[in-house]
Order: sequence, then C-alpha cells, then structure tokens
Amino acid sequence: MVSGKHRLEGKVAIITGGGTGLGKVMALTLAKAGADIVVAGRRVPPIEQTAKEVRDLGRRALAIPTDVADSEQCNRLIERTLSEMGRIDILINNAGGGGRGERRPIQDMTDEVWHDVMDRNVSGTFYCCRAVAKHFLAQKSGKVINVASGFGLRGGRDNYPYCATKAGIILLTRSLALSWARDNIQINTIAPGLIDVSEWQPELRPPPDETVRRTSFMPTGRTGIPEDIAYLALFLASDASDYITGALFAAEGGTFAGGYAPVRHAPIIALEEE
Amino acid sequence: MVAEEFNLSGKNALVAAYGRFWAKYVAAALAEAGADVAVATKSPKKLEEAVGEVKRLGRKAVAIPTDVTQSSQVSKMVEQAVAELGGIDILVNAFDLEFAKPLMEVTEDEWQRLVDINLTSVFRCCQAVGKHMLPRKKGRIINVISCLSERGVANYTAYSAAMGGVLQLTKTLALEWALEGITVNGVGTGWFAEADTTGVEGESLLLRFLPMKRYGHPREIGSLVVYLASDTTDFVTGMFMTVDGAAMAHP
Repeated sequence: MVSGKHRLEGKVAIITGGGTGLGKVMALTLAKAGADIVVAGRRVPPIEQTAKEVRDLGRRALAIPTDVADSEQCNRLIERTLSEMGRIDILINNAGGGGRGERRPIQDMTDEVWHDVMDRNVSGTFYCCRAVAKHFLAQKSGKVINVASGFGLRGGRDNYPYCATKAGIILLTRSLALSWARDNIQINTIAPGLIDVSEWQPELRPPPDETVRRTSFMPTGRTGIPEDIAYLALFLASDASDYITGALFAAEGGTFAGGYAPVRHAPIIALEEE
Repeated sequence: MVAEEFNLSGKNALVAAYGRFWAKYVAAALAEAGADVAVATKSPKKLEEAVGEVKRLGRKAVAIPTDVTQSSQVSKMVEQAVAELGGIDILVNAFDLEFAKPLMEVTEDEWQRLVDINLTSVFRCCQAVGKHMLPRKKGRIINVISCLSERGVANYTAYSAAMGGVLQLTKTLALEWALEGITVNGVGTGWFAEADTTGVEGESLLLRFLPMKRYGHPREIGSLVVYLASDTTDFVTGMFMTVDGAAMAHP
C-alpha cells in the first residue's frame, strides 16, 4: 500500500551539514518518519545537539564530525556509520555553501575561494557518493538525495562559483542515476528555493526591508521554511519513490514556473479576432 | 497507515480522466491515502473499474459519467462532486488519448479533436473547479502530463503539442493562483504499460533505450499524486515532477 511506503522504520540515514538549518530539519523529519540518523558536520556542538533531538524522538542517533571537503573524512563517515549503526539506506548530501559570502566580481576572485566552494559543494558530494557506492551496490538498494539549488539551472549575478557547483551537482546526480539505474539505487536532486532558516539560525535573519524585497518577487508571496523542502527529502528517501531517479525536484514557491517576477504581474490583453 | 504528513483522510478528490489507464490507479492511490473520490470519465468500463477500486479500499466513491469535451457536462461534474462529497479539495486531470501519425497525414479534424481532449479539457475542468476552490482559498490541482510535453517523438506532433500546452497551462495557472491558496502541479509520466516488462530484453527498440530497461507501471505515479495532494506541499506549485525511471535524465 501507499502508506507504509512513506515510513522509514529500520532505515539508517546520513545527513551531511545536519547540525543547522535545512539539514537539521531534514534530520528531524526523517527521524519522525522512523529513521535512525547519522548527523555529519564540521562543528561538533550543533551536530551533537541535532543527535540529541533525534534521540529525544526515540530514534538512534550518531554525530560524526566531518568536513566533506576532505575525502578521507567522507570515507570514515561511511565506515563508522556501518560499524556503529549496522547499515546505511539513505545519504543526504546537504553540506556545502558559498551562496552569499563568496560573491564578488570575477576579476577579484582568488583561487582559494573558488576551490573552497568547489571542494565543499561538488567534491564533497562526489566524495560521499563514492564512499557509499560499494555498500549500496552490494546491498542492491540505496537512496541518495543531493541538495542543489535553482541556481544550478539559472545564473545569479557574481554567484558563478555557487551556480557552477550546483549545476555540477545536478549533472553528477543525473549521471550516477544512469550508472545505478539497474542496481536499485535511486539518486535525485532537490532544489530548495529561497528558504528562511532564521527560526533555526537567528544569526541568519535578514533585515526586515530585505525580507520585504525578497517576498515581493516570490510568486507565492513568501519565502520558504525548511519544512517545505524536508518533506520532499522524506518522500525521496522513502520506498514511495522507487521509480524516481535522476530527477530534479524543487520546492521553490513557484519561481521555477515563471522565474523571479513581481508578484501580481498579470497584463491584460484582449483577444482581437481578424 | 500513511505517514501522517501525507494522510488525505477527510479530503475529497475529483479524478477527471479520458483515454489511457490513469483513472483507476490515481483513484486507488488517493483512496488508499484516505481520500473520498469522485471519478469522472466517459467510458463506462473505466468508470466502473476506478470506482470499484475506491470502494474496495473502503472510501466513499462517486461515479460521474462525463464527456470532458462538453462544457455543460464538466460544470455538472463539479456540481455533482461537490454535492455528493461535500466539496472538492483535490482535482486530478488525466486526459491522455494517444495519437501518432506522420504530420502530412494528420487531418485538421484529428488535430482539433486531440487538442480538445488532451489540452482544452484541462482548461474546462480547471475553470469549473476554480469556481468552487477560489472562494475557499484552498485547493490542489494535479495534471498528469506526458514527458512528451518537453520532448518530441516523431509522429507525435499533435500529442506533444497538446501535452506541451498542458505543461504551460500548469505553470501559468500556478502563477495566477499562487496567492489564492491553490497549487497547480504536473506529474510527468515517462513510458508506462500495464503489462510487466521487467527482464523482457529487447522487447522493443524503445525499451532498450530506457535506463531501467522497463516501462513504469501506472500505479507508480500514485505516490507522487498523493504527495502533491497532501498538506505538505503548500509551497510547491508550478512544478513538473517526473516519474520516468530516469528517461528525462538521459541525453
């Protein structure tokens, strides 16, 4: 039945970047659906906190300090998960960044900043997919969810490192979907729209006028909340999505449909027959 | 039971269909998730099958014989669904009449008829149900759209054009109703068949090109329909979400 397929009891999910914001909400959403959770992230206190909240929900949880830009740490994340949790069913590659602070005109871009964004986004996703591949292929099942962005399809002014990495994640995903299509491993991309994580990370709360500016260009008239995308991750992590692979799904508040355009932009042009 | 977030108990769905096999499987998926379902289609056999599935799952079922190319029948369809279910929370449009012919042999009547059934019926049903959903500021519209809306196959000109039209109608109406509490999304269907083709190597030229080496079974769109019908998708609109076994990811 449709039903049980959405549940994740007995499954183990790894969420990178799971200490804060969207990653944390995805971890808790999957835990509520029954999954045991491994929280990976660079900073220890936030991932320990997420793990504690998962345990409070009655699920097993493990926090593993991980910098996904380092392939050795990604390998150890998978090995430790297998040895301590016994299995892996779901990998959510959510760690990354570079959406804001690294924006600058290309003539001012340094090698260091460029490679830092590449390492955290594209290479980190690649390292974790590679590390889990042998295990998923052997058990003939697995779900990988890679977090990209609408900026992987569209450009953003001076946002080229981020856009390039997110486009890279989308095509890494599609290619691996074809590699694994007959191995019962589903790999998909999710694209969060403009998500307001300030309820979870107050330091990221935008100033009020910035909020007004952003929402005036969202077709739905509001920015997203982490839960909007977490349910998409839950769906793609569950058995309900077994025929879905290589796809890009977004919760974007309508911006994919018409791009960012002023709310209520609706010209009226009469039909004039000849 | 359905995970709480995707539970449709207490919701009413109207499944309007024409052509291929979607009505039965969509109605069953919605009923299984807890919705009461009205089915509207022209073929008595398909109507009976779809309604039978809903009843089998223990939900309230309403059969509404409807030719979706007739505006007056579409209006009555909505009135009857509202009267018998008590409202419509979810509308699924699944108009999928297949037609393929070399362009030079397509008559204008065939073209008009195909577009009328596969595309214009979506307009008629959205407009009719809009009268009910707009005042309530809440609703879900889910259009079943072939992936040929974005891709072509030789001889499918009329079909692809009509499906492309449904996709653009979906995106445009999503924007028009983005502030009305009504989401409008497309479920993109790849290659589907009711017969099991798993392991049937070389069954056709097409099958060899599919990444999963099989067609999808129509029941496999059910869970995505339920997701888009659920309360978890308030922020998801104007989207085209595919169930295609990576067909669209393939170059």
